[in-house]
Amino acid sequence: MTAFILVRLVRAIAVLVFTVTLVFIVLRLSGDPAQQMLSDNAGPEALAAFNAKWGLDRSIPEQYLYYVANVLRGDFGVSFADGREVFTVVGERIPKTLIVTVSAFIVSMLIGIPAGILAAMRRESALDKGVMAGAVLGYSVPNFLLGLTFIFVFAVWLRVLPSSGSSTWNHAILPVATFALFNAAALARFMRSTLIDVLGQPYIAAARADGIPRWEIIFRHALPNAAIPMVTTLGFVAGGLLGGSALIEPVFAWPGLGSGFVNATNTGDLPVVQAMIVLFTVFMVAINLIVDVLYAVLNPKIRKH
Amino acid sequence: MSKLLTVRDLVVEVPARNIKILDGINFSLEAGQTLGLVGESGCGKSVTCYAVANMLPRGIVRSGGSVTFEPGGPSTRKPAVPKIAMIFQDPTSSLNPVHTIGYYLESALYRHQGLKGSDARMEAMRLLERVGIDRARSRLRAYPHQFSGGMNQRVMIAHALAAKPQLLIADEPTTALDVTMQAQILHLLEELKAETGMSLMIVSHDLGVIARLADRAAVMYCGKIVETASVAELLERPSHPYARALIDCMLSIDPDDLAPPVPIPGSVPLLDSLPEGCHFHPRCLRASGECSARFPAPANIGFAHEVSCYHPVAA
Ligand SMILES: Nc1ncnc2c1ncn2[C@@H]1O[C@H](COP(=O)(O)OP(=O)(O)O)[C@@H](O)[C@H]1O
Ligand code: SF4
Ligand SMILES: [Mg+2]
Repeated sequence: MTAFILVRLVRAIAVLVFTVTLVFIVLRLSGDPAQQMLSDNAGPEALAAFNAKWGLDRSIPEQYLYYVANVLRGDFGVSFADGREVFTVVGERIPKTLIVTVSAFIVSMLIGIPAGILAAMRRESALDKGVMAGAVLGYSVPNFLLGLTFIFVFAVWLRVLPSSGSSTWNHAILPVATFALFNAAALARFMRSTLIDVLGQPYIAAARADGIPRWEIIFRHALPNAAIPMVTTLGFVAGGLLGGSALIEPVFAWPGLGSGFVNATNTGDLPVVQAMIVLFTVFMVAINLIVDVLYAVLNPKIRKH
Repeated sequence: MSKLLTVRDLVVEVPARNIKILDGINFSLEAGQTLGLVGESGCGKSVTCYAVANMLPRGIVRSGGSVTFEPGGPSTRKPAVPKIAMIFQDPTSSLNPVHTIGYYLESALYRHQGLKGSDARMEAMRLLERVGIDRARSRLRAYPHQFSGGMNQRVMIAHALAAKPQLLIADEPTTALDVTMQAQILHLLEELKAETGMSLMIVSHDLGVIARLADRAAVMYCGKIVETASVAELLERPSHPYARALIDCMLSIDPDDLAPPVPIPGSVPLLDSLPEGCHFHPRCLRASGECSARFPAPANIGFAHEVSCYHPVAA
């Protein structure tokens, strides 16, 4: 198991190094930063001073090391938009995004997992068909459309919730609900099919033959097995929530990383875009690492090899 | 001897496909006796086991007949709750991959005998040793994937013993194992049967296994029992042409005999297109007109020797 986790750790670091390198290449290819940062009529001395300040007058390998060293220190340069440290600009937005994604993640598990379990236990029943119809609906409506519908119903029509901003907890309800419903649908579907698959395994038939009560078969024998593929899906959902924040946050004018990324892309604020790509990769790599560790913990075939 | 199990006119169907997997199965089993079920793959041996153990899988239903267990003793008036344990062809996939062998055995000992804690652990170790697994203490912490198929079959047998069953159903218990392991498992089953006095229902497509363990044998073909007799009688005087062919096949798989086994011509028909009358008639050399008209009723042709055939092979 230690070897398994070490391998995953090395892989995670490799992915991060690769991403940082890619971002450096994009930085080099995206034009002369001095020209972009300084006004058009800046003189050659000003350009040279700028290049010296940011190390742009050195060789490419040197610049690469310089860049990596800066990134490791959390120095992603300054935002083109307002000249503030990118670290601060991006850092402010992290908690906002985490509030919405983590809440949505928890809510979608609380809804989707029990719904999937019930549907699998009462397979082909009205309950199962109801849950699955809901799941298909929730899954096939695009996220942002669901968000707009919520805004229309709860903010414009019923006027019970605010439609945009982040000043109160109420502001978080609609973005969280939008995210949670979509992902609850995905989780319910996957939970159901995984559990049905496990319930069809010979060891479950053997447990039934042994007279083990139904609830014990579900909770002690089936779910621990279903949890193994489920962990991978939860990882996908968590990653999807982060990626999806670029779609959902602008809809609700929620000032998190997603809106920030869209803004920075629109205004060409390259340092911010790059820092966000690195940050996003860090999140993804962390999620993958957690999934891998949980997978090994839950699966004796990996844990005890 | 007292009767333990009686199966009468058992019919098992797949309603969705409108096919009968079992079509009027009759047999009975005395306490302490061993019944062997033999027949080509797909003839319904496993489904018979599941029906007896009342664990038919989804989509398969018992639509007729009865499976009854005699009460444990003469004074018991309430409906008999039989203690049945079952072991399967593929032991490794019949063990839950996330549970240790210890959990598997100890939870069964709690369920069936009320044993807990160190009592359960000691008994689990004793059972493992009884089925021939050494270093029992450390094995309790192992998972099924760390064991070979033969070891897992021993674990399943130990688990079955934890239920102190009156009837052990063994569905092709050695089919997935290599030859030496097969012999060891059969030997173990023989010993345990003698030790505990339980009845055994053993299923195999291999008559050699049946011949070794069973007192009586039933030959199945396409969801019906076509011949039943004591094992000795069946091996000596097989009367149904299909049973005869099976036995000829088996006897000719003899290392000293260089002639290749005589295969039964043709193949087992599909359940949704069974031939009329005797299902064996397209493959039978003795078939006549009446064979394809009506299924032959079972007839006694010797002591406890029944056969369903219009033209049984003479002894
Ligand atoms: N779950 C099932 N659904 C539909 N048909 C089945 C199912 N299980 C078994 N059968 C059919 O029942 C017949 C008997 O199967 P089985 O008892 O497993 O045969 P055997 O054990 O003798 O090889 C086969 O034709 C098989 O296709
Ligand atoms: S009844 Fe007829 S077809 Fe069937 S086994 Fe006997 S002889 Fe053959
Ligand atoms: Mg079978």
